[in-house]
Amino acid sequence: MTPRTLRSTLTLIAFTGVLAVGACAPSSDTDTSGSGGGDGKETTLTVWSWRVEDEAAYNKIFDAYEAKHEGVTVEFKPFKATEYNKILATGLAGSDGPDVPQVRSYGQVEPTIASKSLVPLDGKVDLSGWDENVVNSAKSKADGKLYSVPLARQTVQMFYNKSLFKKHGIDEAPTTWADFTAAGDKLLAGDVTPIAVGAKDDWTLPIVHEVLAAPRFGGAAFQKEVLSGQTSFTDPDFVASIDVFTQLAKYFPKNVTGVAVTDAQTLFSAEKAAMFPGGSFDMAVLKKANPGIDLGVFEVPAPTGSPEDKATTPGWADGNFAVNAKSPQREAALELVKWMSTKEFGQMVADEVKQISAVPGVTYNDPLLRQMADSYEKSPSPYLLLTDFRYGSPSGTDLMGKGVQQLLLGSKTAAQVAADIDAGVKTWFKPTP
Amino acid sequence: MKTRTGLAFLAPALILFGVFVLYPMLTAFSYAFYEWQGTSRQGFAGLSNFSALVNRAPFKTDLPRALLHNVLFFLGTMLVQNTIGLTVATLLHRRARTRRMLQTLYAMPYLVSPIVIGYLWTLLLSPTFGPVNQLLTKIGLEQFALPWLGDPKTALWVVILVSVWQWVGFPVLLYGAALGGVPEELTEAARVDGASHGQVFRRITFPLLVPAIGTVSVLTFIFAMEAFALPFAFGGSTGNPAGSTDFVSLLFYRSAFDSGAVDAIGTSSALATVLFLIIFGGAMAATKVLRRHERRMAS
Repeated sequence: MTPRTLRSTLTLIAFTGVLAVGACAPSSDTDTSGSGGGDGKETTLTVWSWRVEDEAAYNKIFDAYEAKHEGVTVEFKPFKATEYNKILATGLAGSDGPDVPQVRSYGQVEPTIASKSLVPLDGKVDLSGWDENVVNSAKSKADGKLYSVPLARQTVQMFYNKSLFKKHGIDEAPTTWADFTAAGDKLLAGDVTPIAVGAKDDWTLPIVHEVLAAPRFGGAAFQKEVLSGQTSFTDPDFVASIDVFTQLAKYFPKNVTGVAVTDAQTLFSAEKAAMFPGGSFDMAVLKKANPGIDLGVFEVPAPTGSPEDKATTPGWADGNFAVNAKSPQREAALELVKWMSTKEFGQMVADEVKQISAVPGVTYNDPLLRQMADSYEKSPSPYLLLTDFRYGSPSGTDLMGKGVQQLLLGSKTAAQVAADIDAGVKTWFKPTP
Repeated sequence: MKTRTGLAFLAPALILFGVFVLYPMLTAFSYAFYEWQGTSRQGFAGLSNFSALVNRAPFKTDLPRALLHNVLFFLGTMLVQNTIGLTVATLLHRRARTRRMLQTLYAMPYLVSPIVIGYLWTLLLSPTFGPVNQLLTKIGLEQFALPWLGDPKTALWVVILVSVWQWVGFPVLLYGAALGGVPEELTEAARVDGASHGQVFRRITFPLLVPAIGTVSVLTFIFAMEAFALPFAFGGSTGNPAGSTDFVSLLFYRSAFDSGAVDAIGTSSALATVLFLIIFGGAMAATKVLRRHERRMAS
């Protein structure tokens, strides 16, 4: 290689390297107001989603809609989940976006709303009677307006292997904290990993925190206080809730920070672990990995010292659908989104997509799904760090994930982790008294 | 006339370069100087996005740490990959018959996507099911059956060593080619004068390899500063565990696409610009030094 060709090669490589990063950014905002279409005769509405696995289910659901709305065709177009945010941002900024995009919830949708990409739905869609925590997923904290219709409620709870429990002399799901730890001890003595946690993946740890310790910090009551500024994450109850990890660490797999969440799921489905703290969305995966498993769910009892001795089911909403502000068929799109708030649609989501619908009053054929939905209905609590502390960077969930890893590695105490979360979110979070 | 004809021939390439390289790059730069509300551009922001990288969480803490990891990745790769690469290339150079086959074998892993390599090694090193730790336990080396990717003390080095394992074929090929270019009469003359193998390598082969070493170093620098796919496969976008495998590109990725901050485009573009300047500046400086060395050798 001569010096000259070497020089040119290096320059080119350096350029293309940054191009890879630079090209990820979206194009600037160009106003392309809609034109054409929507004259009432034949309308094709496109719906974008990140649920590739649900394509058949959605096609069935939209067939039902098409049957009732003559001249309307709904095209469901799913994209790879990990690339969806980028694809949607580009689609909505340009002129070839979907009419009805599936959007993220709570803080994650705020940048899309700030881009003025979505149509406010206040007065157009009626969500009265819905769970407040669910409706908040569709609202902007910046202007308080409603921008989407929530699709599903996700709940987090403890999955357990009923036959493994019985085999080790535990006849029923524990209802007190003492029962819960006693069950852990029995399983440990029987050479079974009591709780399969995958602490290598930090995103799973805030979920595990909610499953194991939501009552310890006070769930919904704490949410009100921390949002109004009456308390903060350094509150002794919140610190104690993080410390639950220290108490229960002996029940986790060995070298837990090296165990990926997929490893934890495998431990559980291979019946080497008896419990798996996870979301309602994990059910399908767990069943598929071992169809013969005797799967059950329970709410982890309130840890000793909790402000209120009552188990809860933490949850949140996601998979919301919105209307693209640039859609040339706004009315037809609004009609579709309105339909998505009906019980008819909710029931189909439950039956076809097999998720807990966000619409109240839906019934479930699957007994586990029904139990999870009922538990949330009876004793709901918000997955606080997701519902209220993902509106800025660093997010509450990121801070908790990293902090719990440090706690499990022994490099930080629960109080230090809580202080980090408090300091981190305070860089962007302002309480509203 | 001559220039015009030349330009006409250059035009297709220049247009492609302009549209697909220069234009996106310059727009990405310009994003860093504006305020953003989601994807809609607001007023001119001056350097405030850049100052956010120094003054605001999470950049204040994460950027220096990520940058340090990039530098360690570069130094580790330089040291291990280049040493092994040069050694292997020198040894292969003497084996005329099997050289081609072995070179191909060494280069095999880099034909596989880093994402696949990352997941593969994650499985191999898993403390629950991974065969590496099982093997270590079985042969009585239980004290070395560590949670390789679960401990911040080892995780970064695993990433570096796996990257070395994947890419070692690259310096082997480059050094192999450079060794082929070392005039045999020089080494032969030295041998006739009684120089040992070591002396020939130190006094003749190595100095003549310096341009190739320089090229490899610059390419390694660019590669290390841009590291994304392998760390992503190992530790996700947050550099698990506890940020110990975090890199600047990962920080860019999560602040651009995973954060709930409405001004994400501004700050992440500023970060991309800074990364570009580091890579570009570093590569340019190194090339300059290299050219000076080459000129000295030629004269």
